[in-house]
Amino acid sequence: MTTSVSLYVAGDTGFHRLHPITKLTITLTLLLGGLVIPSAWASYALFVGFILPLSIWGGIWKQLIRAVWKIVLPFGISIFLIQGLFWGEGTTLFSIGPFTVEKEAIIFAFGSVGRIMLVIGSFLLLALATRPDSLMNALTNLGLPGAITYIVVTTIQIAPRFQSKARTIIDAQQSRGLITEGNLIIRGKALVPLILPLVLGSIVDVEERAIAIEARAFNSPGPKTSLVTINDTRLQKLFRWTLFLLMLLLIGFRIWWSLT
Amino acid sequence: MGFVDSIKKEFSTRTLVLITVAIAINIAVGQLVFTLKLPIYLDSIGTILVGALVGPWAGALTGALGNIIWGYTLNPTYLPFFYVAAVIGAMAGIAAKLGAFDRVSPRWLSALIGGFFFFGLTLFILSITAYSRDGLIPNASDLISQNALVFVVILIIGLAIGYFLLRKAGYAGLAGLITGVVAAIISAPMAAIYFGGVTGAGTDLLVAAFRASGAGILASTLAQGAVSDPFDKMVSFLIVWVIIQSLPARFKAR
Repeated sequence: MTTSVSLYVAGDTGFHRLHPITKLTITLTLLLGGLVIPSAWASYALFVGFILPLSIWGGIWKQLIRAVWKIVLPFGISIFLIQGLFWGEGTTLFSIGPFTVEKEAIIFAFGSVGRIMLVIGSFLLLALATRPDSLMNALTNLGLPGAITYIVVTTIQIAPRFQSKARTIIDAQQSRGLITEGNLIIRGKALVPLILPLVLGSIVDVEERAIAIEARAFNSPGPKTSLVTINDTRLQKLFRWTLFLLMLLLIGFRIWWSLT
Repeated sequence: MGFVDSIKKEFSTRTLVLITVAIAINIAVGQLVFTLKLPIYLDSIGTILVGALVGPWAGALTGALGNIIWGYTLNPTYLPFFYVAAVIGAMAGIAAKLGAFDRVSPRWLSALIGGFFFFGLTLFILSITAYSRDGLIPNASDLISQNALVFVVILIIGLAIGYFLLRKAGYAGLAGLITGVVAAIISAPMAAIYFGGVTGAGTDLLVAAFRASGAGILASTLAQGAVSDPFDKMVSFLIVWVIIQSLPARFKAR
């Protein structure tokens, strides 16, 4: 059982080999840039100028574009329909039947779609090219409590097991005559007989697992060694500090901009 | 016992293991609900369970990490809302400290809770949309007399929900309803500013309706959340109440 829920796409490109913290810093800088630069077009520029080239370097651009498209499209349709048709006041561009479409509404919709694209894109850039466990490993080395790392890594490993458990319970209850199709009330009534076995069954073995990890020195103090070592280079350290300074500059710029 | 000690006390090894199970439950129940094609999310049952069994801090950590993990492994749109999930877990913990998950309410009281709550919620939603449209705080009695039929229907629906759905779990249901309203209020600014006020799902029809009635973006987003979140959280708290009632006493005693 080594399968886990993850967006990670295995690869051996230079981008994949970057230190996880370097990739995390790139993601955070891009996010901050989109938030701070006071223009609706900044998000699009950052997406085309940085996220796309980096995803091509990492060989993950197909997955990235597909995922961004799948997530952003429903948002985009909703935003353009709702904010476009019901904006209310502003410079009228054109009208469809009883609705008028205003210039301000279109600018708002473009800005929102761009921001969503940037948030999704910058996180996908990190998630598609970085194994969650190596990211958590790197964060632990920076001082993140080991308990947090344990929760994240373990959850990612056990989630698929729970999903298949849920499917087993659906099958079992259906074979005992539980009706899971029909009107809303019938389907609603099926909820408790499906959730209860899933939750009770998994809670009962919590204690066993707690004893198992404590017996393996989970709570022992002192330094711990890791099976996986993550390569870091002096150049990447320098690059991270540069990005960090850039982020501070961006925040400073934003404060200065809103003051003047 | 100091403040820091009270936090540390919540995080035993068992709690950490329970949190991993709870987040996996959130994901698996989300899948069950999807299979049953129900119009609710129920994606925080594990979070509420940890809050109820362990305490507010553990509940908050479960919620926040759950959203971060969900965001990192499945869909990044969950990530920015991690603070909402944390507040839901914390509120479940506080509700448990007040006894919401242990106490049994008479059914007439559950009916009253349902009736009063949905009546008040309707008033709240109509007030914020009217305020956003006109810039004036509307008079409550005017709103009620102008929409008398709506309020009567809502009151009857609320009483029926309390009597037939909440039954003996009136206190847990009330805690869920309040949590839902708080979740709607704190998630609206993020949804409105970052996501243009929409979710890309069916609930956007509500946003469209409120926008069409003349309300602003933030007010429409808030009103949409105030319609859909309380019911979702009420059902979630209700299910957790049932779970806790069926847990072995040994487990509850910790």
